[in-house]
Amino acid sequence: MSFNRKVRNEKWKIKFAKISSRPLRKSFADFAVKFISLFAFFVIISLYSCDKNDTPGPQKHNPTPYEIEIPYGFPTQLNIPEDNPMTVEGVELGRYLFYDGRMSGRTHPDSLMSCATCHIQENSFECGVDHPEYEGGFTHGITGKPTPHVMLPLVNLVWNDHGYLWNGIISEDNPDPHYQNIESLVWMGIVAEHEMNSDTNRAKEVIQNIPGYPELFEKAFGSSKVTVKNMSRAIAQFIRTFISANSKFDKYLRGEVQLSPSELNGFVLFTTEEGADCFHCHGGSGNPLFTTNLFYNNGKDTIFNDPRDRYAITGDPQDHGAYKATTLRNIELTGPYMHDGRFETLDDVLDFYDHQLLWSPYIDPLMHHINDGGVQLTQNEREDLKAFIRTLRDEEFLANPDFGPPEKFPDEL
Amino acid sequence: MNFKPHIFLLLLLIVFSACTKKDDPPVETKQKIKLHFYHKVNGEEARFDTMIYENAAGNPYLINEIQWFISDLSLMKSNGDSILLNDWKDIHYIDTDLPETHTWNVFDNIPAGSYDEIRFTFGFTEEKNQSFMFPNPPERDMFWPEFLGGGYHYMKLNGKWNEPNGNITPFDFHMGIGQIYYSYPDSIIGFVHNNFRVSLPNSAFEIQENEAMDFNIIMNIENWFKDPHVYDHNVWKGYIMQNQEAMKLAKENGHNVFSVEEVK
Repeated sequence: MSFNRKVRNEKWKIKFAKISSRPLRKSFADFAVKFISLFAFFVIISLYSCDKNDTPGPQKHNPTPYEIEIPYGFPTQLNIPEDNPMTVEGVELGRYLFYDGRMSGRTHPDSLMSCATCHIQENSFECGVDHPEYEGGFTHGITGKPTPHVMLPLVNLVWNDHGYLWNGIISEDNPDPHYQNIESLVWMGIVAEHEMNSDTNRAKEVIQNIPGYPELFEKAFGSSKVTVKNMSRAIAQFIRTFISANSKFDKYLRGEVQLSPSELNGFVLFTTEEGADCFHCHGGSGNPLFTTNLFYNNGKDTIFNDPRDRYAITGDPQDHGAYKATTLRNIELTGPYMHDGRFETLDDVLDFYDHQLLWSPYIDPLMHHINDGGVQLTQNEREDLKAFIRTLRDEEFLANPDFGPPEKFPDEL
Repeated sequence: MNFKPHIFLLLLLIVFSACTKKDDPPVETKQKIKLHFYHKVNGEEARFDTMIYENAAGNPYLINEIQWFISDLSLMKSNGDSILLNDWKDIHYIDTDLPETHTWNVFDNIPAGSYDEIRFTFGFTEEKNQSFMFPNPPERDMFWPEFLGGGYHYMKLNGKWNEPNGNITPFDFHMGIGQIYYSYPDSIIGFVHNNFRVSLPNSAFEIQENEAMDFNIIMNIENWFKDPHVYDHNVWKGYIMQNQEAMKLAKENGHNVFSVEEVK
């Protein structure tokens, strides 16, 4: 309260005291005073009750919202948890952490491991079949323990609303709050034996003690105290910015380029039942994610004993041997293929869908070519189909500097 | 200070009206209808993923899932007038795997009175079947490829049937825009819109002021394969999106697939 205001209030008190000290009588002045005082009382209550939700209090932490622009034809509904809204500061912090090997809770150069150790941008955030350490694209943890399934790409996940990993165990439908979204994958990556094989206390302590990080956490989340929850939030925010929407096919859909005759014929084959009939599971012009993100038994096996298939999650016998349909964006870079990496090349995959399908009682009904062994394309048709699939390669995404490693880490700035 | 009840009440009124005056809804009568969707075979609730059914052609079959659209819901009056219920959302998607789609709370207020019939469009009219109108799942995943006419599937009825040779083969009984081919399957010279109007038999009802009514809309699955055409999976095989002849049969069989029950 300012001095002047204080003085005015004192004067008002004296005036009120003088009026109050008069003998009681039914005068207009008395009525006015009572009315004014009562009115003031209710106005104060009224203002308090109306304004308490509207008047912003002092805001120490006020990060800048990160806006995602919806590309042409893409879904308008984003999978962003309410408790982790996208902010510029959160994404910036997430980028540092994604690429910082000290996330593993270790500082020795030989034992560093970050998300980017395996998730390499130029391979659509998979490791690629030619990775020097992960031979054939088969990853393992820092101790050498192999990961149970091969990798899935980190692309357009902000639109994935049907669970993460090959069987969708990470899902909002999972009653365990620790297994619900991309955030969950971060702490899992830290502790899993077949990934960083660390512990969360060690990871957060290491990051806490790196100069620069506490300030970045303060900016992103309003507290300089490093927590695994906020580490996970930041990395998840960064991953949600990985948007691929500028492939040749995207440009074709926007009317910016024309496809070649071979690519066009491949597109027709892709989206017709008489052709290769890929679109029911892998999308197309009506679904430019090039996946439904749903789970299918696509006819790879006749015996099902993988404890990590979709059946392990749902308990529905029809889900035996079912796995997530992967996006076909940048697919030529994301081998090996299928959940177990059984196919090394795209040609191997086309061979499989062409004439190597295996019937089982659990085959998805969309696999209506099953009893012909596959879609039985001619060699020319296969080449056209491949030409179309290659139009889904998004060079801009693969080289976008916003998704790449920072030039310097916070302690080097 | 003398207590003045009338002043106190006046001020109380000011306090409460200051906060709530914008929230008071206008008083009006409201008549609402709610549709519940069921899928039955031979009068019983459909059982999925089990080879327990036989169609009119004698094909043993099972059903895995059904996904379909209903649009242009209309109420017909005895004088020939009709009310098209489309103020807010005139297309509804039903998916046997998604319970939240099994009920349609029709947004429109229904004028009180008597109605002779409930009608709807199976799928969409040509005018409404526009590509890219559903960017989000699950409706998005019903898109019908541009090359085949665009828009969306009216229905995916997916299952398997037992062929005479013992093979259990998937069938995708998918309905949408058909094609007229100059040379199959590459050259298309025209499209056929296979949507159709459904007049629900025995659907007359009367709705009173402020009454809410519930109706069960039933898809009698076996009728897709029965009347007037016996639909044989061994003839039409597992996929029909590029087979207008098969879709025409399905469309013509669709006239008595749907029925309605008023929920008391």
